[in-house]
Amino acid sequence: MKVRESVNDRIFRLVITFILVVLAIITLIPLLTVLALSFSSKAAADMNIVNLRPVGFTFASWKYILSNREIWKSFFLTVVATVSGVLLALMITSMMAYPLSKKEFKAAKILMVAALITMVFKAPIVPYFLTVKSIGLFNHPLVLVLPQILTAYNMIIMRSFFQQFPLEVEEAAMIDGAGRFRLFYQIVIPSSKAVLATVGLFYGVTIWNQFQHPMMFIQDTDLFPLQMKIRQLIGDGSELQTLASMAGINYSDRTLQAAVVVFAILPIIIVYPFLQKYFAKGAMLGSVKG
Amino acid sequence: MAEKLSAVRQSRGRSSESWGHNIKKYWPYYLMVLPGFIYFIIFKFIPMLGSVIAFEDYNIIGGIFNSEWVGLKHFRALFTYEDFHRILRNTMILGFCKTILIFPIPVILSLMLNEVRGLKLKKAIQTAIYIPYFLSWVIVGGLIFDLFGIGGLFNNVRNALGMESILVMQKESWFRPIFVLSSIWKDAGWGTVVYMAAMSGIDPSLYESAAMDGASRFQRMRHITFPLLIPTIITLFLLNIGNFLELGFDQVFNLQTPMTYSVSDIFDTYVYRVGIQQAQYSFTTAVGLFQSVVGLALVLIFNKLSQKTSEGGLW
Repeated sequence: MKVRESVNDRIFRLVITFILVVLAIITLIPLLTVLALSFSSKAAADMNIVNLRPVGFTFASWKYILSNREIWKSFFLTVVATVSGVLLALMITSMMAYPLSKKEFKAAKILMVAALITMVFKAPIVPYFLTVKSIGLFNHPLVLVLPQILTAYNMIIMRSFFQQFPLEVEEAAMIDGAGRFRLFYQIVIPSSKAVLATVGLFYGVTIWNQFQHPMMFIQDTDLFPLQMKIRQLIGDGSELQTLASMAGINYSDRTLQAAVVVFAILPIIIVYPFLQKYFAKGAMLGSVKG
Repeated sequence: MAEKLSAVRQSRGRSSESWGHNIKKYWPYYLMVLPGFIYFIIFKFIPMLGSVIAFEDYNIIGGIFNSEWVGLKHFRALFTYEDFHRILRNTMILGFCKTILIFPIPVILSLMLNEVRGLKLKKAIQTAIYIPYFLSWVIVGGLIFDLFGIGGLFNNVRNALGMESILVMQKESWFRPIFVLSSIWKDAGWGTVVYMAAMSGIDPSLYESAAMDGASRFQRMRHITFPLLIPTIITLFLLNIGNFLELGFDQVFNLQTPMTYSVSDIFDTYVYRVGIQQAQYSFTTAVGLFQSVVGLALVLIFNKLSQKTSEGGLW
């Protein structure tokens, strides 16, 4: 039963589509300008003539950035923290979410209330800082991982997924003599890949992008994760500015900083197709209330 | 075997059994939640209880338990402190911007996206507007400083139009617009996802019969899609309002410059600077507690309101 689109409706739809296309392009412009700048020459950058395309195309800034050992060190530290953090977070979150999806588990209600409390009442940052410091995580690489391995929000997403898991499958497995542990990691976990991917990516983005935590807990520059390293490099008075004032080079502080920013964006763009696919699903799971 | 089956069956719907019995029967469950439980205790509940240092003169040697109890001293200091009024004002202005100017954008965007025909075009638009969400505020800060700096696109366009360059990031009057714009740029696109999910659940026959009755696209958007989104809007609003005074350290810290402190210094950056860096632990815990209590109160009040006006609410 299709009703034909009237002229007004058509205009309405086309105008909206046009606005959205323009907005989508505007969204991408800041990324394009920084990309252009990172491939531009010092002269062009100094003359302020770089807009959406590189002027005086050169790899000079990129060569400098990619040969900087400090940046790579922060990069690999962040990769290790993210990968190990995601694995640990998925283990702990799923192990908590699964029993909480069971009616027969008597502690489920209390634990759910506790989880909800952490969502609506946040502990002030200073006692949090003192607590984490007192367990020896100050200036410790594990502080990039441990505080991020569980959130009530992600746990509730997983729980609502497990709640929809067909009980008959579990009962059948129980009859085959599988214990509750084996049932969990041999039957339930392998059939929960979608929710694991989604929640894993939520954790991954949080750990990869975290900034306030390392700012509070990391002082040793050897332990700087990528975001802190970038902040250090693009901030005022950074080493890049002194570097770029030297003679005989084809990069300026601005082109170097642009290259650093693009360097940090690239990993995100590379995993973006996965992110988009699973995140959209996850947000839908999250929108299921309860 | 039969025993196990009956155990599974029996266990459902029986909540009156004793704790000891439940633990004995379902001990694997108790073991499984243990790591998460310990996490919540250490990283969430101990810091919550640690808030008592707001009522003490905390020192490292005395710790939480043996520092001198001073009651409401820090809270009294708080409300007479000039800095506090400044950061409260800054935080509240930005909080209102977030609630009034930023929160509705994803709703509008998703209503618009819903009108786009052609799956490929829609996908392409979504792909573009989702990207910024995945970038850290450090990077977004970097992008914005470049875009609005001397030689950035903004000033190049101004120059081309015969206007002079302005140091946007160093101007007090520009900080709040930049805060709003950067929030929208980073999060509004991604914010549509939940609404799009909610809209995909709307029964298409509603649109069809409305179209048969001669309702225009705009009327269908206004009288079908939007009303059906309201429960989702309320839920998201309630989840947001608790953060009214917690705007996020990362964003403001990465957008402010010393020249804009007078308008950009908020609770989160103040607590970081004075509490963590200058070690005034008790006073800044009082500040933090004020933030948390206001957040909690707002959630409770608005939850009550939404329960009264509609059947919606967080719980």
